[in-house]
Amino acid sequence: MMDRKDQNVKGMNRRTFIKVSGAAGLGLSLTSFGVPTLLRAEPAPIKIGSVQPATGPLAMIGQGQRRGNLLAAEYINSMGGIKSMDGAKLKLLLGDSESKPEVGRQEADRLIKEGAVMLTGPFQSGVAMAIATLCEQRQVPFVMDVAALDAITRKGYKYTFRVFITAKGLVGGAVKYLKMVTKEKKVMPKRAVVTNTADAFGKGMSGGFIKFLGKSGLPIEIVERIQYPLGIHDLSAEVARIKAAKPDIIFPVSRPGDSVILTRELYKQRVELMGIFCPGSPGWYEPEVIKDLGDLILYVLINVPWINPSSPVYKQANKAFLKAYGKYLDTNSAYAYTGVLVLADALERAGSTKPEALLKALHKTYYKDPPVLGGPVQFNERGDNIGAMTGLIQVQPDPDPLKRVKIVAPKEFAQSDKIVFPAPQLWERG
Amino acid sequence: MNADLALQLGIQGLLTGGIYGLIGLGLSLIFGVMGVINFAHGQMIVMGMYVSFWILTLFGIDPYLSLMVVAAVIFALGYLVQSTIVNRIIDYPEAMQVVPLVSLGLILENMALLFWGPDHRSPETALGLDAIRVGSATIDVSRLMAFGLAILFTLCIFLFLKKSNLGKSIRAAADNRTGAILVGIKVNRINNISFALGAATTGAAGALLLPLMPVTPHLGHDFTLIAFVVVILGGMGNLLGALFGGLILGLAESLSALWLPATMKHLVSFGILVVIMLFKPHGLFGGKR
Amino acid sequence: MNRLYMFMAAALALILALPLWLDKYTLGIFVMIFYYAYLGQSWNVLTGYTGHISLGHALYVGIGAYTSTFLAQTWGISPWIGMLAGGLLSMTVALCMGYLGFRFGLRGVYFVILTIGFAEITRLIVSHIEALGSFSGIFLDFNPSFINFQFRGNMPYYYISLGFMVVSMIVVRLIETSRLGRFMIATREDEDAAEALGVNTFKYSMIAIAISAFMTALAGTFYANYIFYLHPATLFGMALSIELIMRPIIGGMGTVLGPVIGSFILTPLSEISRAYFAKGGLEGLHLILYGILAILVVLFMPRGIIVYLKGASQWIFNSADKK
Repeated sequence: MMDRKDQNVKGMNRRTFIKVSGAAGLGLSLTSFGVPTLLRAEPAPIKIGSVQPATGPLAMIGQGQRRGNLLAAEYINSMGGIKSMDGAKLKLLLGDSESKPEVGRQEADRLIKEGAVMLTGPFQSGVAMAIATLCEQRQVPFVMDVAALDAITRKGYKYTFRVFITAKGLVGGAVKYLKMVTKEKKVMPKRAVVTNTADAFGKGMSGGFIKFLGKSGLPIEIVERIQYPLGIHDLSAEVARIKAAKPDIIFPVSRPGDSVILTRELYKQRVELMGIFCPGSPGWYEPEVIKDLGDLILYVLINVPWINPSSPVYKQANKAFLKAYGKYLDTNSAYAYTGVLVLADALERAGSTKPEALLKALHKTYYKDPPVLGGPVQFNERGDNIGAMTGLIQVQPDPDPLKRVKIVAPKEFAQSDKIVFPAPQLWERG
Repeated sequence: MNADLALQLGIQGLLTGGIYGLIGLGLSLIFGVMGVINFAHGQMIVMGMYVSFWILTLFGIDPYLSLMVVAAVIFALGYLVQSTIVNRIIDYPEAMQVVPLVSLGLILENMALLFWGPDHRSPETALGLDAIRVGSATIDVSRLMAFGLAILFTLCIFLFLKKSNLGKSIRAAADNRTGAILVGIKVNRINNISFALGAATTGAAGALLLPLMPVTPHLGHDFTLIAFVVVILGGMGNLLGALFGGLILGLAESLSALWLPATMKHLVSFGILVVIMLFKPHGLFGGKR
Repeated sequence: MNRLYMFMAAALALILALPLWLDKYTLGIFVMIFYYAYLGQSWNVLTGYTGHISLGHALYVGIGAYTSTFLAQTWGISPWIGMLAGGLLSMTVALCMGYLGFRFGLRGVYFVILTIGFAEITRLIVSHIEALGSFSGIFLDFNPSFINFQFRGNMPYYYISLGFMVVSMIVVRLIETSRLGRFMIATREDEDAAEALGVNTFKYSMIAIAISAFMTALAGTFYANYIFYLHPATLFGMALSIELIMRPIIGGMGTVLGPVIGSFILTPLSEISRAYFAKGGLEGLHLILYGILAILVVLFMPRGIIVYLKGASQWIFNSADKK
């Protein structure tokens, strides 16, 4: 019962939050225009569409993304909407891909019909492909918030943009931080195991990482690569194989769920390691995972396009997210948030909802101070965000479990100045 | 070949096999009595996981202690499903039975999504991290518990069907429906109880699985598939067969890790499935047609 | 019966003219209606008429989609030709499976599990073939042209899928009224009795599974060039196999109109429930409603909606006669 009640309470908070922020927005526009907003004719809201996997196997991430999209739209509205268009408010239309490409396409088409001038979403690369092609057919700009595979932006589509980092950028960050850590700590793991989920993301990501690592000059040998199906519920045999390979370090590319099974199984089978270094994947920084794994998750190093804690936009967004849903804004939700901010920024500069004007504006995007790590959001000719970058985060002891995830590099964003590596063995903690 | 690794994989395969047996037990029981394949089987296991998850997070009671409560809750759910849906479709052609039960699975899965949200939940349990070390091998305590209890449950249900009066009526109804009606057995009630009993074992399986894997609404599909393979191996409706089917499957999948990547694990199980189907279509240990 | 044909001709004329008024999204719904009606019809040939229940028809969709896409990507062969190649390949696989299943006398549940097993095994094999994208799947290129089976608007997809559906209805009607159809139905009603009367049930089951698999595979090519992404789990997985049989079962198995009626009811239903109930905060509600409705239909219309429609239409036409 508690969970349900909790949700109700949170829901109420969220509604009150919307009211409060709406009132704040009203106050703001009162001062900025000098005339009461209520007396002006309210311009028609501008509709944008969000298609996320809100149900199905990726619902956990999909709902987080949807929430990020929603809060960002509320934020824009509370700041007075799109000012170049008489303060028109954003209206976010929601679509549910059910984690299936054909449903994603149909939902995107529905949102376009209902008047969405731009689309965002959809986390899964397969669904992204279906929607990107549809948007090309319908000539509607599509700004992907998260979708990691580079194949989509390599198709030469005119209407597709991606706020998320490219696979190459992600992998490059991993190798860079690995070099940094080993140099700083003067330790070098020799034998490594790479694990990944057998899906498009897991395979592409770990394959790229292995290739980059080979070229980096680091004397690390991959002694075993283990791929397992998405949604696996037993990794005991795989961990037995990992143990037999006697690695010093594990590079897991995971999804929420298998990360928990993997860590617990490493503990049970007493696999001796210098540490776990995730080259970039979910499963290591979500509030549920941090809570459920307790001390076992400590000292995991993760290379990830993370949130920027010093950005004022992030601070505001995180507060709202915490209030509405009781957890911090993690990287996927933060990118979803950024996606809508970038859309709003393009609308602001285009001053119009015509696709050509929006395309032009999107190409000229220079969105300073996004709530995620990295420079301003700028798109190259492919539509990839060249400003995106990764950070290195580590889970470190903190009495508040919501504050355990700390940025350790790059230095200008660091929340903790020490990196623990090698980490104490899993069974030698507390 | 690495002998330590083979030993470790053998132990784990055997323990996992016991759990597979328990996963298949309910499906086999329900099929044996009513000839209905419960396509919502996996989702019922997930319901069992969530109920024990709830009891754990709300009252701090460990899944092993709440086991019977969980089984009782899922028993009630099974009774409800049988009396409202399954009893009405029991005489339908087999293809027609698929739709309501698949839909039931869809409903249960999305109810879980509404109630508990989409997150992967895996709270720490009392024995969740314990392991016994014998030489170089590791025996996982929660898996050992699940294994032992799975065998215990199978034997209990087996004895219940063999010895008790109610059990005898259930078997009579399973063997010959019309005959059972003629001798005054209330077949509908018997069906309700058998389905509920089958459901209760899935609930218990859910509680035993909670310490082993994170629970998420979408987990059920895999369990349904595993249960199919287990039940076909052991023979549809053959309860002890389900247990042995589970053990064979668990061992085969685990030992396949010596030669094959984990992504091919299920290839082994489905390969075995097809071969068994063709040469021993009623399972290795005989089953109902 | 003449009235029925006239009614159907009028309905077809209306459907042909429909794109004049409909927007792209609604056209997309119709594409999905036709697509699933066609898939249901293909499944119907096997299960509806010979009674062998297949829960692995996704296998043939997958083979069709992957074959034509592979041929197009590797040798630039038009999907229109690749589609036929996929159909033939899928037919071959189906005949192998059918041979095993029918020769070894697998019936009922056992045949069901065999079909699931074959689909799952193929899914796992395709997941490990690098040339087919393994588990990353295949991202298709978008080069709109008739030869490439790819189009900008929804209109061509609408007419192609409509054509698929209409042709499948004609084919099934022809089978139904032929000797072949009568033997297939005899197999369905009582395999042993038919066998005793000298009907070669094995032969007719094999013909049925071959036709069914060939037809199903063509839909795979359509899917590939409509969605532009192929993944083993979505194309060979059990979810698709189940999705595919819902409509003919609800509409009425073993009839020409059943799969079509089922699709005209179920597909918009899932669209509408998603459009209205898949809102933030209640994720999953629309699938619950969809599930409840599907259960209710089967509980209260156990022989399919078509039986009730027939009753209604007879009542209308008869009362018209009286006047």
